[in-house]
Amino acid sequence: MRPENYQAISHPPSNEYELNFGPNHPGIEGNYALKVKLHGDVVVAARADGGYLHRGFEKLMEGRLWIQNIALVPRICVPDPVPMEVCYSMAVETLNDMEVPERAQWLRVLQLELSRIAAHLFTFGGHAATTGMYTTMYWGVADRDLILDLFEEWTGGRVYHIYNIPGGVRRDIPEGFLDRVSHTMDYIESRLPDYDNLFFTNQVFVDRAKDTGPMNQQQALEWGVTGPNLRATGLAFDVRRDDPYLVYDQIDFEIPTEAPGDAWARTLVRRQELMQSIHIVRQIVEKLPSVGGPVRTPIPNPLAWNVPAGETYTRVESSKGELGYYVVSDGSDKPYRVHIRGPSSMHAVRVLEQLSLGARLEDVAQIMFSLDACPPEVDR
Amino acid sequence: MKEIDIPIEASVGQSRTNPLARVFDELVRFCRSRSMFMLHYCTGCGAIELPPAMTSRFDMERLGIQPMVTPRQADILLITGYVSIKTLKRVILTYEQMGSPKYVIGICSCTVNGGMYWQSYATAKQLDQYLPVDLYIAGCMPRPEAVLEGMRKLMDRIRSDEADGWKDYYRRYDWYLGNQQHLFGDDWQTPADVIGEASHYDLAGPGTEGEHTRLLQQCQKPLEPQQTFFQIGGSLEKKGEFHE
Repeated sequence: MRPENYQAISHPPSNEYELNFGPNHPGIEGNYALKVKLHGDVVVAARADGGYLHRGFEKLMEGRLWIQNIALVPRICVPDPVPMEVCYSMAVETLNDMEVPERAQWLRVLQLELSRIAAHLFTFGGHAATTGMYTTMYWGVADRDLILDLFEEWTGGRVYHIYNIPGGVRRDIPEGFLDRVSHTMDYIESRLPDYDNLFFTNQVFVDRAKDTGPMNQQQALEWGVTGPNLRATGLAFDVRRDDPYLVYDQIDFEIPTEAPGDAWARTLVRRQELMQSIHIVRQIVEKLPSVGGPVRTPIPNPLAWNVPAGETYTRVESSKGELGYYVVSDGSDKPYRVHIRGPSSMHAVRVLEQLSLGARLEDVAQIMFSLDACPPEVDR
Repeated sequence: MKEIDIPIEASVGQSRTNPLARVFDELVRFCRSRSMFMLHYCTGCGAIELPPAMTSRFDMERLGIQPMVTPRQADILLITGYVSIKTLKRVILTYEQMGSPKYVIGICSCTVNGGMYWQSYATAKQLDQYLPVDLYIAGCMPRPEAVLEGMRKLMDRIRSDEADGWKDYYRRYDWYLGNQQHLFGDDWQTPADVIGEASHYDLAGPGTEGEHTRLLQQCQKPLEPQQTFFQIGGSLEKKGEFHE
């Protein structure tokens, strides 16, 4: 029997506790953290904790010349750096009222699509690793390396190319390069059935990913979701088609969509986008020999290059979603203000917090990878 | 009874006079250099070249290097690129949790002198002011081949007993702590008892204690559990409360 003066000590129930998920955690993507509150192993509250990769890009860019910033921008999103260069170059060209030669536009699209394929292969690998299928990670990274080899031959850099500059691209493709591109595309396409068997139709993955982190179309629009994550909710929005830039209006491609909006749908959309990108690259390989001319418009002395005053917003479709640059110039040799609208800062903070609610702890990493968030771009 | 000449001060750093001990040390160092666990903490953009280096194409595992998820079982701490101030705190906490001997590799130019971000207000420019760096792999970013070459160089240095950055951390702890306090504020503290460890390894020198460690002891407060981030007592039914 309890004594009469017994008083129960009030304390939180022992099955409720908080965990720091990251930054030093094998499941988290990059140097990023989530603070989660768990009830058993179900997440009841989550808060994103970024800032580990903050470098102050927008401030750094105000202190450098227009041409110097080209070397800085690809560092913002490491797995998919090309859209950053292209988008910034497009912004500077718009401010200058500059024409880009047609051949340079085709080369830019070729590079954008190759970069998209590489980024998607990398994401599949990371996503598979969170569900315990490490073989897909090994395959994805190895196949991505083939594209990095192409980039290396073409631009001299494996990851950061610094190839797109305001006015065009730095140099033309090497001799016989298009044959190697189509050979690599053939190889990657021939690998896709193996990926299907190993990963996309694997029952382990389907069971884990279906109904994990679902969002409907209305939520996605409210939260500012773009890119494959939005298309996985059934809305066919793609900057490449709806606001065409470069030569995308001359290219034939489809916009794959899926209805459910869960992790499984998001991955399947990327899988189909990979096919579309291969299709686009093949069209460029056919078209490019018939497009002649220079690859860049000459710019004045870049060390004393005053860009006319004005402001502009340009956007491209990166592998993560809509990427935009808002650039203000006051007529001097440096940008007055640059704001970067990164897709991942929408996906990895609010959306990840919301989708984690009610999920189990082991699915949080999977949700983050299925959103394809890029931590360096969140923190900038 | 004849006295046997056993060197009393046979510390870890000096070469022992006993030939048997020297052979044993060499054997230990050889084995140590052939099986290293690398902490899986990707701090910056150089981390993107680690998956190719680890997976099938370049295959770091044939050198005996594998990623490891916990700091306490890891031997190598890779700093892959720039470290922001917020990351540097975690890096130092992680480093002090690792068991000695431990090695730090700074990858990318940003760890050497700030690299691309020499102007940035948010990053620490020189890593070796805060942690003892055994090896730098320069480049932005270094290719997987360069990473592997750096690893091989570290293996050679471990075998020849030149990779002694961890001893330097114990011997000159006061200087490192001073730089850390300069960056993080005077009340910076970590759970590790570095001075105690230094005397355990017989590495405490004149630079181990000084004005900065005295400041550390003055400012030391008992380590308390972190303030709870969310309000206590929530449950699945009250899920809406945490949305704010």
